[in-house]
Amino acid sequence: MELFLQTLLNGLLMAGVYALVATGLALSLGVVGIVNFAHGEFLMLGAYLSYLLFALWGLDPLLSLGLAFAAAFAVGGLTYYGLIRPVLKAPELNQMLLTFGLSVILQNLALLLFGADTRVVAPPYQAATLTLGPFFLGAVPFGAFLLSAGLLLLLQAFFTRSRLGLAMRAVAQNRLAPGLLGIEAEGVYLLAFGLAAALAGAAGVMLSVMLYASPTVGFLFTLKSFAIVALAGLGNLKGVFPAALVLALAEALVSTYVPGGGGWVEAVFFLVLFLALVGRSRRAL
Amino acid sequence: MRLEVKDLATGYGKAQVLFGVSLEVKEGELVALLGANGAGKTTLLRAVSGLLRPWQGAVLLNGRDLKGLSPARRARLALGHVPEGRQLFPLMTVEENLRLGAAFLAPRREKEGYERVYALFPRLAERRRQLAGTLSGGEQQMLAIGRALMGFPQILLVDEPSLGLSPRLAEEVLLALKEVARGGVGVLLVEQNVALSLEVADRAYVMEQGRIVLEGSPQRLSADPRVREAYLSL
Ligand SMILES: Nc1ncnc2c1ncn2[C@@H]1O[C@H](COP(=O)(O)OP(=O)(O)OP(=O)(O)O)[C@@H](O)[C@H]1O
Ligand SMILES: [Mg+2]
Repeated sequence: MELFLQTLLNGLLMAGVYALVATGLALSLGVVGIVNFAHGEFLMLGAYLSYLLFALWGLDPLLSLGLAFAAAFAVGGLTYYGLIRPVLKAPELNQMLLTFGLSVILQNLALLLFGADTRVVAPPYQAATLTLGPFFLGAVPFGAFLLSAGLLLLLQAFFTRSRLGLAMRAVAQNRLAPGLLGIEAEGVYLLAFGLAAALAGAAGVMLSVMLYASPTVGFLFTLKSFAIVALAGLGNLKGVFPAALVLALAEALVSTYVPGGGGWVEAVFFLVLFLALVGRSRRAL
Repeated sequence: MRLEVKDLATGYGKAQVLFGVSLEVKEGELVALLGANGAGKTTLLRAVSGLLRPWQGAVLLNGRDLKGLSPARRARLALGHVPEGRQLFPLMTVEENLRLGAAFLAPRREKEGYERVYALFPRLAERRRQLAGTLSGGEQQMLAIGRALMGFPQILLVDEPSLGLSPRLAEEVLLALKEVARGGVGVLLVEQNVALSLEVADRAYVMEQGRIVLEGSPQRLSADPRVREAYLSL
């Protein structure tokens, strides 16, 4: 029983970061309308930035968080402007090929610059644990969960209270009306894409401590995010956290209870994606 | 403010829809644009608000040529457009929809906008927290008009607001537009409900196959044999 609860706790703590990354993917998908296979590479960027700042100047990842958010926002904005905007009206397959190509290029670039080794950021508190009755909480996963949850709440306020947040939801729901109301959809797309990248970048910093930075770490999270977004339902931002929780819990359970579970964990996303898509197409019948 | 359309021609792809249309809407005037299905009324409104590029001719707002301006820029110049099919944000509340109509104004004008819209359509005030997608057809139309009014337009284009409404609701909506015009806004009203439009309009145009074929006061048009036969079934 204790093992079971500890497993659930581990899953819950992971769900925050998953939701952060997947919210970004849901934004580029729902608001900009682009299937971005390179979404995880913004996460990779954040992870390596955190690694570099720590390795070169010993900068605490907590401080790198804001920097990575801003850097990923800028890179996301540039990506939108230079690559996405020209293909907004192109067929979906072309868009997907483009973002897939971008993902491959960025992964190879990271391979060239940093090699294939995984890089871990190890601040003094990395291995610290808190005990809660019979349970253990890693300080880093717990901190990352709180930070993610905080960011998600801020985001929620942004989408319900600010005009810009409302405009982002609006362009996702109707493409024609915003222009007639004086809202330049192009500008909204740019900011939404930047924000999507920034969320992944911030998550990347957390993962550089919880997990590692590597050329392929981003792609792993792209896949997980697709499973989460498929489960939440397209354009459903509120559903992202519960869906992230489902994936994270499923992974935690597999890792604890399936013999040799560690190896299977990274395939759980596929099971979730498969079940979500099958469930969706059944309901559509 | 005054809207002038001069010798406008446009279409989709290679198919020309408008063939040299000219019309004018002055401040405080309710002008009806009548015509059968496919005459090109919606196309004209789309060209005026910048959703469609003119092939020839010009759209002027207070004498200023709007050529090359995006729909958003035109909206910011106080040109409002309630499009065909309402185009609401279905998963957002009434109030959020309205707020988006004021997105480019100084925040303090928002409150003034709500007051004006809720005074015009008290039903919207009762339903301010309801999702737009769950409103009745009439309420959705009121919301579409209210949302456009939140930007304090001085020229307002309205595309078939009575579509799908009961006669009583249609009248209510058209009377509300009349009140908007009385407040100084020039309203260009596209309608299929010819009898009702001629009751509220100050002037009217009749469009057939992309051309204006008749123009005049409602009295004159209601007396015209062509209008009586084709649109009033008299
Ligand atoms: N997006 C489009 N692509 C191609 N042709 C179009 C398009 N929209 C409209 N048309 C054509 O342009 C012509 C005029 O259409 P428009 O929508 O302007 O008519 P309307 O007067 O508004 O009619 P209704 O009263 O039915 O709304 C029609 O022949 C229509 O088929
Ligand atoms: Mg029409």
